[in-house]
Amino acid sequence: MYIQKGNRKWLGWDQKRWLWALLGVLAYGLLPLILDRYWLHVSIMILFYIMMASSWNLLAGYTGQISLAHAAFAGIGAYTSGILAVKFAVHPLIGLALGVLLAALLGLGLGLLCIRMGGIYLTLTTLAFSEIIRLVINNEYEITRGTMGLKVPVLFGTYSKVTSFYVMMAAALLVVFAIRKILYSDLGMSFRAVQNDEAAAASVGLSVFRIRIAAFVITAAMAGMAGSLCGHYLLLITPHIPSLDMMFLVLAMAVIGGLGTFTGPILGAIFLETLAEQIRVWGEFHVLLYGLIALAVVRFAPLGVVGSLNERFSTGEGPRVVKESAS
Amino acid sequence: MSDLTMYLTNGVVMGIIYALSALGVSLVVGIMNVINFAHGEIYVLAGYFSALFSVSLGIPPLVAIPLAVAGVFLFALVVEWAFIRHTYGNEMKSLIITFILSIVLQNAYLLVFGPFPKKPPNWVHGAAHVFGMFFYSNQRLVSMLTAVGIIAGFFLLLHKTWFGRVMRAVSMDREVSAMMGINPTRVNQVSFGVGCALAALAGVILTPIFPVTPTVSVGVSLTAFVVVVLGGMGSFVGCVAGGLILGIVENLGAAYIASDYKHVFGFVILITVLLVRPVGLFGQKRL
Amino acid sequence: MKNIHGLWKVMVLALALSMLFATAVYAEDTIKVGVVGPRTGGAAATGKAFEEGIELALDRINGAGGVLGKKMEVVFEDTAGDPAKAASGLEKLITRDKVVMAVGESHSSAALAEIDVANRYKVPLIIAEAWHDDVTGKGYKYVFRAGPANSGVVNENIIEFIKDYGFKKVAIVAENSDWGLGIKELAEAGLDKAGIPYMTVVTERKAQDHYTELNKIMNFEPDMLLAFVYGFGVHYLIAQANEIGLVPGKALILEGAGPPSLWPEFWQTVGDAGNLELFVSRMHSEVQLTDVAEEYHKAYVEKFGKEPSDYKSRSIFDVLLIAADAINRAGCTNSDNLVQALEKTSLTVGSGVVEFGTAKGTYAYHQWQPPMLIIQWQDRNQVVVYPREGATGELKR
Repeated sequence: MYIQKGNRKWLGWDQKRWLWALLGVLAYGLLPLILDRYWLHVSIMILFYIMMASSWNLLAGYTGQISLAHAAFAGIGAYTSGILAVKFAVHPLIGLALGVLLAALLGLGLGLLCIRMGGIYLTLTTLAFSEIIRLVINNEYEITRGTMGLKVPVLFGTYSKVTSFYVMMAAALLVVFAIRKILYSDLGMSFRAVQNDEAAAASVGLSVFRIRIAAFVITAAMAGMAGSLCGHYLLLITPHIPSLDMMFLVLAMAVIGGLGTFTGPILGAIFLETLAEQIRVWGEFHVLLYGLIALAVVRFAPLGVVGSLNERFSTGEGPRVVKESAS
Repeated sequence: MSDLTMYLTNGVVMGIIYALSALGVSLVVGIMNVINFAHGEIYVLAGYFSALFSVSLGIPPLVAIPLAVAGVFLFALVVEWAFIRHTYGNEMKSLIITFILSIVLQNAYLLVFGPFPKKPPNWVHGAAHVFGMFFYSNQRLVSMLTAVGIIAGFFLLLHKTWFGRVMRAVSMDREVSAMMGINPTRVNQVSFGVGCALAALAGVILTPIFPVTPTVSVGVSLTAFVVVVLGGMGSFVGCVAGGLILGIVENLGAAYIASDYKHVFGFVILITVLLVRPVGLFGQKRL
Repeated sequence: MKNIHGLWKVMVLALALSMLFATAVYAEDTIKVGVVGPRTGGAAATGKAFEEGIELALDRINGAGGVLGKKMEVVFEDTAGDPAKAASGLEKLITRDKVVMAVGESHSSAALAEIDVANRYKVPLIIAEAWHDDVTGKGYKYVFRAGPANSGVVNENIIEFIKDYGFKKVAIVAENSDWGLGIKELAEAGLDKAGIPYMTVVTERKAQDHYTELNKIMNFEPDMLLAFVYGFGVHYLIAQANEIGLVPGKALILEGAGPPSLWPEFWQTVGDAGNLELFVSRMHSEVQLTDVAEEYHKAYVEKFGKEPSDYKSRSIFDVLLIAADAINRAGCTNSDNLVQALEKTSLTVGSGVVEFGTAKGTYAYHQWQPPMLIIQWQDRNQVVVYPREGATGELKR
């Protein structure tokens, strides 16, 4: 164990914070014992969104590349393992690995494509990429079954909500912990350096090039894994996963929670997904509600909930990024 | 042969209208350095207004159309004041905020107008026997001519009026213009309004042909962005050229290669341009 | 730092509480039946039609004493024609609302996702208007269909209609959905058998611009255009086919689903091009096959003050009657008993007398095919042109 006595910190948190985190994780892990099937389903979807929002935050909040292709990578992961399982009888676990690999490769490709582009161009390119993926998935319905949906087998063993819960939870913990580790490693420091001031970062020898691409690859792989797990949990993969609607949900969760903070996306995912189920009776209008909340947050509290709280109560440390640039 | 001519005609007609829509984006980008993701939603709003005014309220089309555009112009001013003004200089913020705004508007339209296509009445009916080879909708032809007229009018505005000179000045150099006494906030406000008005005009022109629904806005935005990137950010001539190229490529591609991949051609063009010549065909500024 | 901890604690507690609170179930003295259908999205008008049918059905069922002595309550879950929403929607009805049975649906892709959920949870599902053969063709024990199957519609109606009226060349436009592709294949097979030449084009349900495809069709010179598109894309198809002079001069168009030709927006988008358009239906004010149909018509006019035009309102009415009847005969809400009771159904409803097939192996298992009509718009009036025995007018070209 690396946690030392006294006020020493491991990955940015002191003992007390880590204990709280552990408590939170244990509490979440006990949910299958108290929740009914319906809310258990919700808690599984929350885990999916935690993975998506946190990984997108790593890319957009920490390296400043606002990519709209994140949902597309989840779709790539999902459809890869789904199609392999259905058409070629590949075991979903292998399909999952291959899906992650393909997502990472395409992430590499997209990162390379965008490497010389600044803000708007980058976003537009990722948007174009995302739409191409969605169109291909929609149109090649012979293989993907397009909007009709692809029925896929369970990840392994027999289908059980409880098993699916713990699988998702393990994956989410992996992703979240990996993100924490990255942020507090040399790579993470470089991310923040590059975001704050590219010229300065380059001047001290950081390869801006490699860092931006690394961010794309890592986060694309995470999204691919999340997408594949989600698909094999729902037993149905549809073009909703690689859609702009999904992208917006993920973005809203990260932004409302706090772009550029660690716990922001996690809390954003929990809060928004729970909220969605509560107002489900309003049907499609929950997206409008999110949008309005997100709009208000970006306009009046651009650092998001966690970001604003950090501002108010912080002692100045933490992996926040200063994003406001002089006009 | 008549097939090819029809596809080319369709390409030119759509291309001109794409160009009109893209002008709005180009103006806002050139002057304010802001990319408006909600561009398509502005276009759609104009379509809804024109349908609402002429169908539900029974206002004659000649009045309904300018009324719709005026309504959207006012709406744009409010949006600029509420959200856009706040993001000047911060690219990331304006991107995020206009993206969220576009989703909010899409869903708001769903709530207010419902999922069904809304369409104002056609200005003209029937079809013309074009070149003696095929039938083509009269409405499409008239829409195209109107778009040409507006584009010409816009160029006149830009080059022959005082206001146009102000816009060009600010687009070339904000700081110096400010020093010369031009109020940048006011210019931004009006430019955003004019940019949205152009989108609105494209909307009212095209809605009699392609009714608006809450989801067509995404396609409109993307098309406009492709045209602006292709033509070159900040270049208005580029918009026209880019629009025509996109329109023709899309239609020929759909006809001869694959009709369900129509929109992919645009994206492929976008990515190619960004890779090979990021400033676009006629662009002068790099963002 | 303590402040943040405090805040986090509060937030976590609030979330936990709200989740626990939501799981609280308060007892009610009703029997719940779930309805799945498109309340939002492009086919939202069908959802509205469902709402009307549900109201009339509840009036009738609860007015006659309800089910098992209690009132029947309907929970209408939105599926928007999307398979993912459909699966999660049905799951919600079963796990959260604890419905004893579910009915409805008008999109095949959604239905195909729902049948898996119903079978997994062992809750009976009676499909009303999703036509793909596989819905019952998969042979799931808990799934029934009191509505058309693609095979039935194509073979008994469309192909016979084409042969009867002597159409010579057919163009097919189909949407790339389960229903569209399914019915297109059956139509192609049927036309092959009848020796009638045809060409096929596949399109998107929501596509707005059909000029390219219509041009290809024009060159083929058909006299019948089969449109298998269940969305407003078909409105554009008709309007544009009219613009280029294909319809109604050179060919007639038969819209293979029905409701899109009945939606209120039809005349707005299509205009006069809608005249002489043909469509499939299951209901007509002058063709009342049973007294339940008469009663339905009367009740509808009384309650809503207008003529019923969208046949899907009566389709959902019918399946709710079937559900209530089965629950009452089963005497309990146990799923297997309900399935047994359903299999023994012999009930008069608006569309005819319902009896489900029990022979396994084909789509006829647990299926009841209602009699269908082909109707033509003539000067904005619905005129039945097929079957000839029930025709209320002549086919106009």
